[in-house]
Amino acid sequence: MALIFFLSLSLFIGGAVSSSKIKLSYGFGFAGSIGIFLIGCYTLVHPQPKILWAYPLLHNLVLTLSIDHLSAIFLVIAAISWMALALYSIDYSNFYAQKTLPLGFNISLVGMVLILTAQDGFTLMIGWEVMTIFAFLMMMGRDHPFEKAYRFLAFGEISTVFLLVGFSALYFTTGSLSFESMNKGSLFALVMISLGFIVKMDIVPFHGWMRGIYGEIPDNTAALLSAPVTLMGVYGLERIIPLLPNNETWDIILILLGAFSAFWGSLHAAATNKLKLLPAYSTVENNGIILAAIGFYALAGNFLSGNLHYLALFAQAASIVMAISHTFSKTLLFMSIGHAKEAYNVHTIDEARGVWSGVGRIPAFGIVISALSFSAFPPLIGYAGEWMVLETLFQSYRFPSTSLAFFSALAGVFIALAIGIIGFAMVKLIGYTALGYDHGRKSLKIPSRLMHIAELSLELILVLGGIALPFIIILLGFPHLLIGLLGIPAPLVLASGQPVFGVISPTFIGLIMLVLLIIPVILFVKTKKKVRKVNSWNGGVKLEEKEYFSAAAYSQILEHVLRGFYKTREIKDKTYRRIKVEDVLIRPMTALPRLVKKIGERVASVLMNGKISTYVTYILILFITVFIIGMIVM
Amino acid sequence: MKILIGIISTSKGDKLYVLDDGQEMLINDDGKNQKDIYGNYSFLKKHSFKINDYPVTGPGVFRFRYGPVTSGIREAGVFQLYTYGEKILRATIDLSWKYREMAGTMQMTSPEAGLLMAERVCSNFAMSHSVAFSQSVETALEIKTSLLTKNWRILLLEAERIYNHLYVIYKLAAAAAQKVLAAHLSALFEEALRLNEQLTGSRYLMGINSIGRLNNNPSGPAVQKAVDGYKNLANTFTRLYEHGLANYNFLDRLHTSGTLTPDMAESMGLTGPSLRACGIKDGLNTTTSHLISLPVITQSGGDALARMEIRAGEIVNSCQYLIDHLRTSDSWIDNEETQIRKDKTGGTGYSVVNSPSGALGYYLNVKNGNVQDVNPFTPSYIGMHAVSHALEGAIFTDFPFIFDSFGIHFTDASC
Amino acid sequence: MIKWWPLYGLRRKLTEQKKYISPVKLRNATTKIFHRSLFIYILDAGSSNALNFEINALESPQYNIHRFGIYFTDSPRHADVLLILGRPAKAMLEPLKETISQFPEPFYIITIDDFPDHPGLMDYPELPNHVAALTGVPSPSQILGLLLDISKTKRR
Repeated sequence: MALIFFLSLSLFIGGAVSSSKIKLSYGFGFAGSIGIFLIGCYTLVHPQPKILWAYPLLHNLVLTLSIDHLSAIFLVIAAISWMALALYSIDYSNFYAQKTLPLGFNISLVGMVLILTAQDGFTLMIGWEVMTIFAFLMMMGRDHPFEKAYRFLAFGEISTVFLLVGFSALYFTTGSLSFESMNKGSLFALVMISLGFIVKMDIVPFHGWMRGIYGEIPDNTAALLSAPVTLMGVYGLERIIPLLPNNETWDIILILLGAFSAFWGSLHAAATNKLKLLPAYSTVENNGIILAAIGFYALAGNFLSGNLHYLALFAQAASIVMAISHTFSKTLLFMSIGHAKEAYNVHTIDEARGVWSGVGRIPAFGIVISALSFSAFPPLIGYAGEWMVLETLFQSYRFPSTSLAFFSALAGVFIALAIGIIGFAMVKLIGYTALGYDHGRKSLKIPSRLMHIAELSLELILVLGGIALPFIIILLGFPHLLIGLLGIPAPLVLASGQPVFGVISPTFIGLIMLVLLIIPVILFVKTKKKVRKVNSWNGGVKLEEKEYFSAAAYSQILEHVLRGFYKTREIKDKTYRRIKVEDVLIRPMTALPRLVKKIGERVASVLMNGKISTYVTYILILFITVFIIGMIVM
Repeated sequence: MKILIGIISTSKGDKLYVLDDGQEMLINDDGKNQKDIYGNYSFLKKHSFKINDYPVTGPGVFRFRYGPVTSGIREAGVFQLYTYGEKILRATIDLSWKYREMAGTMQMTSPEAGLLMAERVCSNFAMSHSVAFSQSVETALEIKTSLLTKNWRILLLEAERIYNHLYVIYKLAAAAAQKVLAAHLSALFEEALRLNEQLTGSRYLMGINSIGRLNNNPSGPAVQKAVDGYKNLANTFTRLYEHGLANYNFLDRLHTSGTLTPDMAESMGLTGPSLRACGIKDGLNTTTSHLISLPVITQSGGDALARMEIRAGEIVNSCQYLIDHLRTSDSWIDNEETQIRKDKTGGTGYSVVNSPSGALGYYLNVKNGNVQDVNPFTPSYIGMHAVSHALEGAIFTDFPFIFDSFGIHFTDASC
Repeated sequence: MIKWWPLYGLRRKLTEQKKYISPVKLRNATTKIFHRSLFIYILDAGSSNALNFEINALESPQYNIHRFGIYFTDSPRHADVLLILGRPAKAMLEPLKETISQFPEPFYIITIDDFPDHPGLMDYPELPNHVAALTGVPSPSQILGLLLDISKTKRR
């Protein structure tokens, strides 16, 4: 086991070393991911924790890598995403030939493996920093958008600072950094460490970096940042929640923050017309839902009564199923969109019309399946995940305290709204890009066999993952959530509460849908109706290009009705009109660099004004300050 | 108050066809500051078939084309609505799809043949076109029509007004999904058409009017039956309309839809119910003064609701007018014979009538017994400009209320 | 106060029982599949509006065409009969052809030429399944008679 583990790691490092041969480098990444996947699968079936590596750095600090059931779950999820991405990137590297890309890819994978197997705060933070820095390296696309990419790095460092403070606090109270000592941790450590993970999950208001940058970075980077990297935040929370001592207020804050983030993300996903910003905001939405589920898991876990204990487990299962759904769907969505985007060489939803006929069936199907999964379309896995989260929140009446019940129900309202609005946004994406009219446009011919394989396998996983939900639930370690009901045999029905509150059976729905699909197809093939192709009906005249219904127009009514949230403004001129919406929660994030710049200039003009006396004073003050700090520390 | 309803280009320079308190007159276009006096001077001078053709651009802005073949507005015509989703930023109206060269085909024909054409410019305004055309020929040839003919023409114009107004209110009710009201209004509309048939033999009052006379004067028991018919119609309509006005769902759709300010309506040269809905009188009711002038109804809203209320009031007024005069029509004595001057074979004539949707005028020359230079000025052409402006800033769901409330037609506008 | 429509609406029976007779004979025999379900799409090619008004009159409760299963549709793709009003104006020739191409089979075309002597209009292009050509302004009951002939619905 340890052998395969280190073999995989060395494959990643081999990939990084051979980054001048880009395709080979991605190939190493693929092979390494297979190794990680195998280890994860093995541990899923045999969930005894195993220590892979331990190195005593100091007397009370042992760097430990080990693998247990929770690590295995996330290793498998992440490894599937990595494999698809590595395969996809081999073809995709024809567009982005920078050597920093495979280098960053492989090393950030190493970072993530470290995070997922770390057993102490120090190792976790090493992995965290490696992942952040090398993911940043990948953002250098064709146009080198330095300033915007630095924003990502800044948020990554904010996350690291939170973790640093949190683990330091832990160290001061317990004298150890290992996860086992966490049960003696303080509330402060809990807040700081979970904030560190939340920042990585792009939860509002920590999503400010992605506007502007997502359109410019390569798509495999976008997929990596959006799916596996945010998954690390989810893993972190799942890991620390049962360990650190719990606090009800903080749990409620997590639930509300998640619910609001879901709502906010969906709102702005619906309003954007940029091809990659829409999935990026959908990440904010999905991670918000996951955060709310984790918060609920933490909250319900405080109570010992039977049905609340069941609910806590159900919430945990919901959060993991949502994480699975999000990672796979988002990877697939970014891969398919990237495929279409490069084939058309465009950036907006309006320009990327007709992927089905213009680019290919497989990427179009990828957009459709992943977007449907985000819109909670049965029997896809996203449907199961979002249903589970909603069912969890709707059972908040089981809490003994009214305020807990009220706030979780409020979160349920926000998440229900978010799921509705994200459906609206996804219809926009599907309707215009995947299934829209190509209007006779032809795409570039690009080598795409491996891209197709990667996309197709994730499409299959999304469909089969929904149908095989009972199997996944068992693998995740929640077999007691499954029952049999109304003639459907035993493990196929997922029950959300005890006593039974609500049930679904995606397997059964999938079977019924399959039958309902097969009958019309058979009828259609048998009868052999004559098919005549005509122009689309447009009032008797062929549609001109300026008459195409624009994507902006699709969501304008929402922007108008919810103008309080969007700060919708109309810019008017005699012959020019446009609607502007704004993400007001980004404002502080954009104001900060401006403030820093201003203060820097002011300070510079005071200090570096050419007078030697000022400069000497400055050095003197600095020296005294350092001296005083040193004295205090001593 | 002077309203410019058309510009005629003649060999002796342009002439402005102006309505001065309901009286038509021609003014020579001296080319000076006419733009300041008449707000509609520029577009009437241009007389383009593409109304308000100023595209709007911007991210997400596209042109939504409504027409030429749609079932919402069955007439062949195109609305090009510039929009970024729900709001109409600009409405360009293209009249060219239904251009049938009507004015052209009237050239060099005998006045009788021209009259036949005029009736078919817009058949639901057949009587208005026919009367305006025949009166123009009559002035050109100095034909004096008998009082009986004049009286009947006025009565038939009112009959035309009734069914057209009923049609407009029916359309508005149907657009607001007032199914019961719409069904009953359409029954009344059909009833009004049948009364037309009873009076004249034609559901659209076609073929009854001729130059200097009527082809046959309605008389006898048919007229008395029509009196009962109009009584019944007025009563039913009044009750139905009151019932309809009690429904806020209906009124809310019309209220503040397609509002025109009095200044805008006046500068655009609107006449008829659309102008009166802004509280301005056009004086057209005086064209019937040799019987009794029609009472004038005005409203101050300037929106679709005001326009509908005016039409509703006019339906009742016209019914009453018809009932009063049809009853006594037996006693009308044709004391003034129609006088035709055999020696007169040429001249210039123009005339305006009070059509259901506003002032409808004709200008023509007669030379050697043939009509030439026929210039029809229809309320629909100016009305289309008003619709185009009223649509600006509205949302799509208001579209039918705005368009239908003006009671105008593509075929009338594009003649 | 809001008044209640059904009380007003149901009080009067407006539907008439008449014999509806078509002014022309059908040129070809029609299929029986439109029995009691005939959907009509109307295209105004260049009529003088009287026909448009007649179609509106045909929708009035006196004729109650729905009792025969006759409906007007909003899209040619849902229709069985294309009713062309007037002879086409020049600009409407292309839209007319485009509309015909949208019809699902089987379908029939009826033309009503309200003004045969009009010199400014075009001739009809080649019309497939042209089962009836009317001239002048037929009354709603005549149009209804023709539609009933096509759908082979019993008059009652």
